[in-house]
Amino acid sequence: MNKNKKIPFKTPEGYFDSFEDKLMDKLSKTESTIPKDSAFKVPDNYFESFNESLKGKLDNEPKVIPLFPINKIMSVAASIAAIALIALGYNWNSSSELGFNDLANTDIEAYFENNDFELSPYEIAEVLPVTNTEYSDFLSSPIEGDNLLDYLNENVSDFDELNIEDNE
Amino acid sequence: MIEEDTLVLDLKTKSKQAVAFEVLVNTYKERLYWQIRSIVLSHDDANDVLQNTFIKVYKNIDGFNGDSKLFSWMYRIATNEALNFIKQRAKLQGVSDTDYQDKLLSNLEADVYFEGDEIQLQLQKAIATLPEKQKLVFNMKYFQEMKYEEISEILNTSVGGLKASYHLAIKKLKQYLKED
Repeated sequence: MNKNKKIPFKTPEGYFDSFEDKLMDKLSKTESTIPKDSAFKVPDNYFESFNESLKGKLDNEPKVIPLFPINKIMSVAASIAAIALIALGYNWNSSSELGFNDLANTDIEAYFENNDFELSPYEIAEVLPVTNTEYSDFLSSPIEGDNLLDYLNENVSDFDELNIEDNE
Repeated sequence: MIEEDTLVLDLKTKSKQAVAFEVLVNTYKERLYWQIRSIVLSHDDANDVLQNTFIKVYKNIDGFNGDSKLFSWMYRIATNEALNFIKQRAKLQGVSDTDYQDKLLSNLEADVYFEGDEIQLQLQKAIATLPEKQKLVFNMKYFQEMKYEEISEILNTSVGGLKASYHLAIKKLKQYLKED
């Protein structure tokens, strides 16, 4: 709607809301040397037959069935623990508990190497608190401030990607 | 078209699940396919990842809490599946992600499902040089013609940031194609 009563013209509804996008699109397409067709094709009737092949795969998905019921395992484990406790004698005052520090670094590395967590480095970064981690802990040589600035200058095109507010 | 809320509810209801899943697959398979294909490049790989995406959606629909749109949620799963697929394949072959993507590009010339001319092949090579985020934004905006608001919800990035990424990508691609 025209807010200026003196001008008798109107614009289509939502014209100004979408103007910027349209302009940007047009700007990027002007004298464009970039073809619009990506040239990727699919086999004939691929999408028509996709549902069937998906159904086949879903039906063949392996279901996880426990080899032994958990209750049975628990009772067996409890019996073994009780027998071992009596047979060996339990030292109640023992202070030698295994902790994270007892793990060899190679074991930890091997664990991460051999287990697929389906986590991208970004996802891991999201749960890793930056404040509690010193970069020097996992860098063999310290990064010079100038090198860091050069790197950011050359590689960060989108300031939002740094998520500075989130990590403050 | 079936309302999204109804579809989600049906997907979570055992008796209606099969029919609802069929509707879901029919509604989104093509759009998700092109998103995946733009990342993995080969049709066979795209087919594998698309099937895995729908299987993941099927298995995890109970965990979908409606914080985002169903379509955005599925798009995110498809994108992550495709990116992880590339990483896993590279790891299996003992090469870096970049080397693996170079290999994908060189396979493209012999791919029967790629009917590109020289300029289209050059464009794919140019796209491969972009940082991951710019690559995703460019493919989603330019080829799939998605709205910035939709991309924003999928990639969890501000519309302003996306616009900057997109225009930077266009600039780099034009430069690459001009130089080559």
